[in-house]
Amino acid sequence: MAVRTQTYDSAADAEVALDTRLVAVGTWLFLGAEIFFFAAWWFAFFYLRALNNDQAWKAQGIGAPSKGYGAVVLVLALLAAGAYWVGSRAPSGAVLFRLLTPVALVLGIATCLFQGYEMWHLGFGMTDGGYPSVFSGLTGSWVVQFALATAWLGSIVTQSGPAGDTIARRKPAGSFAWILLFLAAVGIINYILLYLVA
Amino acid sequence: MVVSERRLAIPNNLITGILLAIPAYFAGVWLGTLFGLDDDQNTGVILGYLLATVAFLAGVGFLNYPLERLFGWRVTPIADPVENAGIGRFFRLSLDHKVIGIQYLVTILLMLLFGGIGAMLIRTSLLVPDSTITPAGQYIALIGLHSVMMIFITSAVIVGPFGNYLVPLMIGARRMAFPRLEALSFWVVPPAAVILAAATFWGGFPTGWTGYPPLSEQAGQGMDSYIVGFALIAVALVTSGVNMLATIIGLRAPGMTWTRLPIFVWGIFTTSILGLLAAPVLASALIMLGMDRTLNTTFYVASNGGSNYLWENLFWFFGHPEVYIFILPAFGIIMEIVPHFARKPLWGYRTGVVGLFGVALLSWFVWQHHLFVSGIAPVLRPFYMLSTELISIPTGIIFLVTLGTLWRARVWFTVPMLFCLGFLFNFLIGGISGVYLSDVPTDVTLHGSYFSMAHFHYTIMGGEIFALMAAAYYWLPKMTGKMLSPLLGRIHFWWMFIAFNSTFFPLFIIGLLNMPRRVASYNPDLVGLNRWVTISAYFLFGSMVLFAGNLIYSWFFVSRPALANPWHARSLEWQVPTPVPARNFDRVPVIVGGPYDYGIPNARPVADLGGMVGATGGG
Amino acid sequence: MGMFRIEEADRPHIVRLLIIWVILSAIGIVAVLLINYPPYDQTVQGQDQASTLRLLTVLATPVFIGVVMMTVYSAIYFRRTTTELVDGPPALGNTPVQIAWVAISAILVLFLAVVGIATLSSENVAQAVGQPGRAIGQSGGQTGSATSSSGGPELQVQVIAQQWYFTYRYADYGGVETTHLYLPVDRPVELHVTSLDIIHSFWAYQLGVKADANPGVDNIFHVTPQKTGSFQVRCAELCGLWHGHMADSSGQVVSQSDFDTWIAQQQTDFDTIAKAVPSYAPFYFPEPKLKAG
Repeated sequence: MAVRTQTYDSAADAEVALDTRLVAVGTWLFLGAEIFFFAAWWFAFFYLRALNNDQAWKAQGIGAPSKGYGAVVLVLALLAAGAYWVGSRAPSGAVLFRLLTPVALVLGIATCLFQGYEMWHLGFGMTDGGYPSVFSGLTGSWVVQFALATAWLGSIVTQSGPAGDTIARRKPAGSFAWILLFLAAVGIINYILLYLVA
Repeated sequence: MVVSERRLAIPNNLITGILLAIPAYFAGVWLGTLFGLDDDQNTGVILGYLLATVAFLAGVGFLNYPLERLFGWRVTPIADPVENAGIGRFFRLSLDHKVIGIQYLVTILLMLLFGGIGAMLIRTSLLVPDSTITPAGQYIALIGLHSVMMIFITSAVIVGPFGNYLVPLMIGARRMAFPRLEALSFWVVPPAAVILAAATFWGGFPTGWTGYPPLSEQAGQGMDSYIVGFALIAVALVTSGVNMLATIIGLRAPGMTWTRLPIFVWGIFTTSILGLLAAPVLASALIMLGMDRTLNTTFYVASNGGSNYLWENLFWFFGHPEVYIFILPAFGIIMEIVPHFARKPLWGYRTGVVGLFGVALLSWFVWQHHLFVSGIAPVLRPFYMLSTELISIPTGIIFLVTLGTLWRARVWFTVPMLFCLGFLFNFLIGGISGVYLSDVPTDVTLHGSYFSMAHFHYTIMGGEIFALMAAAYYWLPKMTGKMLSPLLGRIHFWWMFIAFNSTFFPLFIIGLLNMPRRVASYNPDLVGLNRWVTISAYFLFGSMVLFAGNLIYSWFFVSRPALANPWHARSLEWQVPTPVPARNFDRVPVIVGGPYDYGIPNARPVADLGGMVGATGGG
Repeated sequence: MGMFRIEEADRPHIVRLLIIWVILSAIGIVAVLLINYPPYDQTVQGQDQASTLRLLTVLATPVFIGVVMMTVYSAIYFRRTTTELVDGPPALGNTPVQIAWVAISAILVLFLAVVGIATLSSENVAQAVGQPGRAIGQSGGQTGSATSSSGGPELQVQVIAQQWYFTYRYADYGGVETTHLYLPVDRPVELHVTSLDIIHSFWAYQLGVKADANPGVDNIFHVTPQKTGSFQVRCAELCGLWHGHMADSSGQVVSQSDFDTWIAQQQTDFDTIAKAVPSYAPFYFPEPKLKAG
């Protein structure tokens, strides 16, 4: 049976290649778990909406929050993820990376702040039936995760000095782009469900 | 930005964690009282548990890495394990998979003691047909604590100690892929157990492990323990799943092809897939339950746009893969151990792997069999009946592979082998009784009765725990460096086997005779059978005490160390010295043979270890 | 069958095992046929369940005996007899045997599924919501006015669960509500199971009935008593503090004339207290208002 062989110039190179591969695999596995996490919320959305128990999915006078405002939050999230993705694909030590990562961080923080503001001014209370419950829970779960991802993005920025971890481990730092992109994609689905389908 | 050499300078260990957790709990309760919507204390209790857990983890040292990153200080991606760092390493955050395995082992066994005592109290209460021994509220609290504690334990009892310790050794790796995640998957378990046990102070929770709303929304603050504790176990399942899968995918030694992988590793692989994907669904359901209890949302309130069926669907969508999370590593253990003592290759290795994946795949499509009498749409029932019964096909494969391996073997009757054979008997009964429950017409009578309770104790206790015992007698010599006494082991096996069957088989009959689960008062006609079961259960507990005695005695009071390979097994984990060196292998081994190539003429040794100790060398 | 060529060394084992298996299975099947299976024969549906239970046990017996026998046989005949460690024959697998094993288990499983589905569709073992049924108690409470005194072929009874007892409403008899369940023999009954608070499960053991009671959901269950006698009723879903006490054995299947006498008496008794009892309307839904699935 053939023995898997790969050759590297040095043991350190082999370690770097291994680290890159493990972080990539781990990222994709984690995103698998995330899909199931959000799928449960989407299921809750469709299930409660279809049942409409006691005609209380959306009680009288309750509607989706402002579509425009929701779109602003979504665009911010997409821009944050996109900026980091583009930056992380640049060659090691590139100016583009140094430039775009802080931009992504600022956009990420803005996303969280705008979303937080919206959640304080929904126009309905969480006790007002099925839709308000799903809206608060799903958007809340999403923004908490986006905030944690933004914090990690912050550490990527602070670690981008000459001896920092980001520069030493550029490819693993690149894998993180998939998490931001994933959360932004979830944001799109959430927007469609919570604002358009409602 | 200049990266400094600074470090967060608090001493990180268990004590710091506990000292930080206590004030954090009260801070959370205070915050909840200030800002919570309810006049009861659910918000405060949940916040308290969450803050206490975070503070505990910070005290243990989990926040150092992210904070040092965030501050722009120098971070080390993975620290090398330190050679023989003394007993203190077991009470600190260790990134060595072997230390984590031992930490898991001891923690889980302590939790098992707690859960077992709960079982004894339950059985004691059932000595009389009315609830004079435990008042009704206490009995239901006991049921809840016993069940959820046991679910916590059985989720991790094989993957935690044995998966963590053995997977790197079996695949020829010197570490895990994500040691921090691996450590996290352990360090959330003690808080989960403590938080669950804390429900006692609130009078427990009344729902059993299923946590069905609206009862779980009506319940007192004990229910908050269920929510937070279970959520932490979900975290453990996800982190452990990511780590195990990435390790098995990415860190196999050169030559460790997928078809040379020990079947135990396949068991861990499949169970990790289930844990990784099922636990997030539980997490979502628990967040909804927590929101209903604290923020007054109405996910599960039928009279305000919610539905209790939402919980039932989400919970069982997690819950049914969850029970295969218990049993898949047990299948792995049985198929792993039997070849070594049959002294034959694993018969039908690939078929066995297909069986494991078949069980894992089908487990996603059966969850509504828990809802046959709940009022689900009748059209769904035939599908779930069929899908559930289909699971007997891949499960049957596990039996086929094991029996095929035993065929014309030269069976060496060691204690692990005895437990494997005991597993086959018990799990056969557990599996066949499962078919009774999958059939809708018979399920109408059996659902929610002692029959189903006997069924899952046969699969989990008779299956998983017997496999656990086989694993303990087989691998603990490598992990603790001491052989468990084979004489005590034999007594333990026969005692446990007889007591187990004597305890749980009558429960099938009790269930058929109209006794529902989770009741403290029952039909006085059944008092004779129940007393028999209770006495047997005491004996069963006694057998576990004997095991604990054997473990403690051999571990701490026997001075003679175990041989490196006492079973003369071929597989890789037995080729390293005992105790296992900090970095497992001097250099990454090159795998040149299969783990079960017994009796094959001119079979190559399993690996080229580069001058390390040989196949049967002493330690 | 060239595929199943049997090795010389295997032959004595296989012959011995087959003989033992046939004998033990025959004895086992006769033994399990002698058992009287619950939930016995008080209702058509219960009898059906009992016969399914018997069928499953008959099928399980040879499977159980076969596997246990193989295990025990291996332990006896394939144990190591030398003091030295010796390896067994290096058999890596046998494709025809594996295919046969999977095929046999698949046939058994499909057979069971077909039988189960057939039973399910023939007897309406547990028809639940989504089946509109006839609206019951349209007058919306205990007003005593009969809604369908003529009565269809099916007697309609609403089972109302709450912490921690069941009450029964006879829609065909003016919505009279009782704490005991009486059913006439040989008349199909349509049970509408619902709850006022949390999830309960209505379990009438001898009737072969178990149906969850969900708040605001109408869970329909059909049953036809065929023998008079008493039966037990209890809750089978953990429902809090006094779940264990949510049981009684006062259920009765009686002749039609006894039933008429009893229900007339109930209506008389009920009329005297009707005015003092508040309407249930805010707390439960007389017709299926919420959906499950």
